[in-house]
Amino acid sequence: MNALAGDGYQAEFDSAAGCVRLCGSLRLGGLTEYAPISQLLEDALDGRSALTVDLSTLEFLNSSGIATLSKFVISARNRKDCALTIRGSSTIPWQGKSLNNLKRLMPSLELVFD
Amino acid sequence: MSDTPDNASASASASAPARVAITRSLTFRQAATTLIVALVLGLLASAVELYADWQSMRAEIRTQTDSALNLVSGSAAEAAFQFNDELATQVADGLFARREVRLVELRDNFGRLLVRRAAEAPPASDGLAMRLFGDITDYLIDLEHRGAPPGNELVGSIEVKLAADAIAASFMERARMLVVIGLIKAVAIAALVVLIFYFMITRPLLALHGAISRIDPAHPGNWPRPQLRGHRDDELGHIVGSLDRLMGAFQRGLEQRDRARDENTRLGAELDVSRRIQQILLPSREELDAIEGLDIATYMEPASEVGGDYYDILRHSGGVRIGIGDVTGHGLESGVVMLMTQSAVRTTLTSREEDIVRVMEVLNSTIYNNVQRMGCGKNLTLALLDYHALHDDPGGARGRLRISGQHESVIIVRASGSIEIIDTDNLGFPIGLVEEVGEFVNQIVLDLHADDLVVLYTDGITEAADENHKLYSLERLTARVAEHRHESAEAVKDAIILDVKAHIATQTLYDDLTLVILKQR
Repeated sequence: MNALAGDGYQAEFDSAAGCVRLCGSLRLGGLTEYAPISQLLEDALDGRSALTVDLSTLEFLNSSGIATLSKFVISARNRKDCALTIRGSSTIPWQGKSLNNLKRLMPSLELVFD
Repeated sequence: MSDTPDNASASASASAPARVAITRSLTFRQAATTLIVALVLGLLASAVELYADWQSMRAEIRTQTDSALNLVSGSAAEAAFQFNDELATQVADGLFARREVRLVELRDNFGRLLVRRAAEAPPASDGLAMRLFGDITDYLIDLEHRGAPPGNELVGSIEVKLAADAIAASFMERARMLVVIGLIKAVAIAALVVLIFYFMITRPLLALHGAISRIDPAHPGNWPRPQLRGHRDDELGHIVGSLDRLMGAFQRGLEQRDRARDENTRLGAELDVSRRIQQILLPSREELDAIEGLDIATYMEPASEVGGDYYDILRHSGGVRIGIGDVTGHGLESGVVMLMTQSAVRTTLTSREEDIVRVMEVLNSTIYNNVQRMGCGKNLTLALLDYHALHDDPGGARGRLRISGQHESVIIVRASGSIEIIDTDNLGFPIGLVEEVGEFVNQIVLDLHADDLVVLYTDGITEAADENHKLYSLERLTARVAEHRHESAEAVKDAIILDVKAHIATQTLYDDLTLVILKQR
């Protein structure tokens, strides 16, 4: 279990369940501040054939966070060896358009809205 | 950082500790009070002692006189019995030898005076002496001759009078001595108490007072904390410790305030710059009026915290390119990205790139690489609309519009009142988010007939919230446009802005409002 936490958010990777969960509100200032989260996501992909990213309790993600998530999805797409599922919530406003854009980046991505 | 006049005068007054008039100073008042209390108590003690003295002196005089009389009564009786004048004189002289005796008279039992001794000029009786000793001056005893039984025979009397003044004089001398000693004791005790107080309490208090009056209100944390030797663990030491912590807290509060003020100033300056950036490159009214075939009205209002709304209308030889977009976030960085976008859009136009996919790729690449440099992860929605007027179209269309890029839905309200909402999600991709977007770019082409309306906006309009957090909404926007579709572009714009403002009412504007109305002439 690999976990990060900061002001108003938690990020954890449950290796056994093959699931990365982001919770709370992520408002880190700039791409470099997202590096630890980016690293956690990349590590989760390593040698794994299926991974779920659970965003259903991530109330807010700023643009640097969305950029980080986009990079991660492109990285997963380029690996071609891991089936990626992103779990979102239809009641959280930012997710609708942004998660659909992620799906367009990686058509094989499975998008699940709670 | 500059001192305000208030601060300046406060620090000036702090540098000169407040002077205390000598009669108001702690030491003086404490000394005066101690002296008065010691004097009063000393005098009271002297008075009590004097009273006891007076009592014992009276008893002593009586006892002494009585015993003297008893001592001589035998000889006196003998003298009276035998009419022995010589013996009588000896007895009288013996008694009269005492300093305070004023009168001695020895009489026989027929009342005849045997001998009399009296002070030559008895001094005028002084009232105080009389009150103190006047009642114990007269003594008279009968003289009995011890003969054969059956009994003693009365043979005469002896009378002695004492001088109250003489007794009082020695008493007063004693009294004076007692009062003087009492005064000296009082002064000595007062001086001792003042000295002890001064070194134990007054002096450290004065040091503390001096330190407090030298505190600079602008830098309370640098106060001259006094070193009170020997008081570290008592109440005075605790006061100094508490004050030190208080001053430290004040200092931290002031520094926090200064930092907040500096940060506010910086943000305020940044906000002014952002506001300028947003307005500085907007198309002029003249440019818009010169466009063939379109009646155009535009509106842009920056939010209290300026966002990154973008719109532009660029005329070129082949027609008009209209851009509308929204950079994520607020502030200077969003403004800078918006400025780069404006510049890049104009560059693609100048380079005569016709292929909209290439245009989007170039724009994305430019913004993406710059945003990577900025390290801020900003991106933007951006729709580009290419318009050109049509002449002699068989279908009667007067203009053709090509729409591409991902942004808010484009609203088309036909002259007939029919409405088309064009979802742009699949026409592009956020600009600056990922390295390559070419594969996501598509375009929609539609013809415009006379009086058809095209409405472009940013989410500041549709997501403007009222006090109950209810959003203005795409539906309400569309309905308003439809209601006013017969009016000029300017009138439609005005009606919508009025309606949005009425919806927001007194709420703060959290996002920029941008609205572009195109009406086919």
